[in-house]
Amino acid sequence: MKPEEATIKIKKSKNSLSYGSLIKVFYAAVTVFAVIYIFPVIWIFITSIRPNSDIHKFPPSIIPQALTIQNYVYVFTGMKGFLRYFLNSVVVTSATVVFVLISSALSGYAFGMRKFKGNQILFMLVLSVLTIPYIMYLIPIYIMEYKMGLTDTYLGLILPYVALNLPWGLLIMRGAFSTIPLDIRDAAIVDGCSEFRMVFQVLIPIVKPAFVTTTIITFVFAWQEFMFASTINKRNEWQTLPVGIVWLRDELQTMAMGRVGAAIILSIIPVIILFLVFRKFFIEGLSEGMLKG
Amino acid sequence: MSTVNHEELTELKRLKRQRKLREDINLFLFLLPAMVFVLIFIAFPVVYSGYLSLTKYKFGIDPVPKFIFFRGYIERFHDDFFLTSLKNQAIFAVLYFSITFLASLILAILINELTHGVQVFQVIFYLPMIIPMSLVGITFAWLLSPINGFANIIIRNVTHNPRFMFDWYQEPQTALVGLIIARSWKMVGFTLIIFIAGLKGINKSLREAAKVDGSTFWQEVKWIIIPNLKPYMLISSIWILINSLKVFDLVKVVTEGGPGIRTYTLYYYAWKLAFERMDFGQASQVSYITAAIILILAAVLNLIFRPETAEKG
Repeated sequence: MKPEEATIKIKKSKNSLSYGSLIKVFYAAVTVFAVIYIFPVIWIFITSIRPNSDIHKFPPSIIPQALTIQNYVYVFTGMKGFLRYFLNSVVVTSATVVFVLISSALSGYAFGMRKFKGNQILFMLVLSVLTIPYIMYLIPIYIMEYKMGLTDTYLGLILPYVALNLPWGLLIMRGAFSTIPLDIRDAAIVDGCSEFRMVFQVLIPIVKPAFVTTTIITFVFAWQEFMFASTINKRNEWQTLPVGIVWLRDELQTMAMGRVGAAIILSIIPVIILFLVFRKFFIEGLSEGMLKG
Repeated sequence: MSTVNHEELTELKRLKRQRKLREDINLFLFLLPAMVFVLIFIAFPVVYSGYLSLTKYKFGIDPVPKFIFFRGYIERFHDDFFLTSLKNQAIFAVLYFSITFLASLILAILINELTHGVQVFQVIFYLPMIIPMSLVGITFAWLLSPINGFANIIIRNVTHNPRFMFDWYQEPQTALVGLIIARSWKMVGFTLIIFIAGLKGINKSLREAAKVDGSTFWQEVKWIIIPNLKPYMLISSIWILINSLKVFDLVKVVTEGGPGIRTYTLYYYAWKLAFERMDFGQASQVSYITAAIILILAAVLNLIFRPETAEKG
């Protein structure tokens, strides 16, 4: 008995020893990778606080010889478009999120808690949206919006964004609603509650986490979307940030990388703050959303 | 007595029917907003671009689409631009898939073993997910620009060759790879989330038992971690795959398809056909072929990862 125990102990200690040094290697590897990974963001930040003369001097240097906030001042005072792009992004993104939440909650309830003919088939059809390349939707949507005069408007972007994100919302909402015991619903209806009131006052508070998840997924999409934004809205004043900053770059050419860098940093800082504050929700939301897909 | 009962019954039936009708109307109303969006902006476009793909139609030039059956598709397979885009897309997909899949899998396994600083690492690796692809493109184009680009400055210093000047995104050998790296940089966070979720789901006692039996870390990876991650591998593969075909913004912002047509991708070519040449017929053919490719590849992936998921039940 005793020798056996002893060997187990030896094995264990040997293992934990090699584990200990292995973990150190892991720390080193992950740290190196993380530094390389974050570097592009840091580099664009460093560029944004250097004066143009320093960025473009010859021979070029990595370590800044001079620092300035002029680039940031310029973004707010000299760059006409930036604040407008920002506003456009906020309007389009928040409207998309609101529409997606409302319509996906209503139909998520129907798919999750109401049994009806064709439930499964209809749901699968809606989900197939996710695998189809978006460019396929773009051409007909462009023709439609062109004929209806919706190009160069907020609505022209919001409507397709809602449609493209609905399947996500639906997937998440259906999942959340289907976990609610049907008794709750029946009890409310027996109490004489109308179905709509029941959904809004009783059920929706229960599926709050699904609202957070849907909001995050929709936000991440709408805030970054480029193809629809650059195709449907051609006029400068209707551009969202991802398209607008590219315009700024093309206008300023590469000789003003400090200013473009400042615009990039300013455009991502609010999102980074949101991301840091709601980190837990972001990660849980995205992982839930993607795993369900 | 019996007549009253009968009357009550019919009354009850009537009420029940009424309630059923009201419930049906409600159901319709609940589904209405989502279905309107899906019908107008999803279903109709799919059908309509399917129709357009069977026509010859230059928007603004041809008054109406002219029906040509499948001739357009046949033409596409003799179209050098299309074939080059297809080839680039294949290279892109394979490299992008390998880099993103392996990098995020290895990172996830490593991070899963760590106890301190996990939050910081996660924030760093997840950060690119919220930076728009077009801005990632500008950033990488700047990092790899010929004169002031960080990469070239480093190479100049290391090789002591002050004249070294390489335009990574305009040279045929490196342009596509440069795009792939930028795209992977953004994507790794997404798949990392999936893998970390999968690793958290692995029963700890399994690994402890293995440790007691004297298994090494690599044995645990091989016999416990990888088999248990199979379902998550399927999910992340499908994600990477779908994303590997959605390459438009990066190409548009960084290379505009150049040098020559070395970085044309299927999305980019379809977009270019549609909104620069306004040839909606040809563009729809390209996008339908792209959709077919995605469906076929997704089915293949499903086959590769199926057995294990089925075993898990």
